Amino acid sequence: MDEQLQEDWLDAQLREEAPYIDDAGFTARVVQQLPAGRRQSRVVRVSVLLGVTFVACVIAYLVSGGGRFLADAATFLVAMPLATVCAIAGLCAITVMGVSAYAAASNARELRL
Amino acid sequence: MSLTDADLVARVLLEDDHHAFAELVRRHQSAVRGLLRQLARSDLALADDLAQETFLRAYKNIGSFRGEAKFSTWLYRIAYNCFREDARRRKELVGIDETQLEAEQDPQTADPALRQDLMQALQLLPIHERAAVLLCCQSGLSHDEAARVLDIPLGTVKTNVLRGREKLKKTLAAWREK
Repeated sequence: MDEQLQEDWLDAQLREEAPYIDDAGFTARVVQQLPAGRRQSRVVRVSVLLGVTFVACVIAYLVSGGGRFLADAATFLVAMPLATVCAIAGLCAITVMGVSAYAAASNARELRL
Repeated sequence: MSLTDADLVARVLLEDDHHAFAELVRRHQSAVRGLLRQLARSDLALADDLAQETFLRAYKNIGSFRGEAKFSTWLYRIAYNCFREDARRRKELVGIDETQLEAEQDPQTADPALRQDLMQALQLLPIHERAAVLLCCQSGLSHDEAARVLDIPLGTVKTNVLRGREKLKKTLAAWREK
């Protein structure tokens, strides 16, 4: 019982040891240092990505003779043995899983800060 | 109706709302600066620098806050990491400065001598025990939350709190008997 009282007393002293600290311009100093224009840079990044994708699509279309390579690829795949198609699909799945695992690990590292 | 921390975080994420982030800083600055002052052995300038660094890192990484823990717990974790990195950079922790201790004394505290003894007793604890005691006994975090902040197993947090408290009780035994 005495032990409990002693612990309560210690906790009370520790809590008292943490009085409210007045802001005194602290928040203003932090806000002043915040990097500006994160939203703007995000918009720019998305625009650049979309633009590059569009240009790449146009180039691919022109170079391949009006998208003929798609029809060629489909014909090629149909002619392939089933085992080869399964092996390619498996390889793709493994690649996607690897990339996802890497993304998850980087996210977890960010959370650890 | 005032906005919750989660609402403010969402505004920062979606609209890059500096006012929302300022409100988060206003709400949590006292707790974060208080913790860092205790960890930094009352070096107020260092503690405030680390607190600023904490909030700036929180802003930059706010996208990684998932809302699984309380926002304050997440901030404590960043603050503790900032402190550890700084201590590692300096190679040694800052010593006790008597004049700063005196300047920091709160006139409302019942017994300034007890306050000073408690602060010194805290500062004599090894850093892992001090951090665990401050988070659990002063900031009111659960053992589980403290384990997340300190990035150590739950059992280790419990042991550190127990050991830290025992040492504090021994040091302050004379006060308790008064």
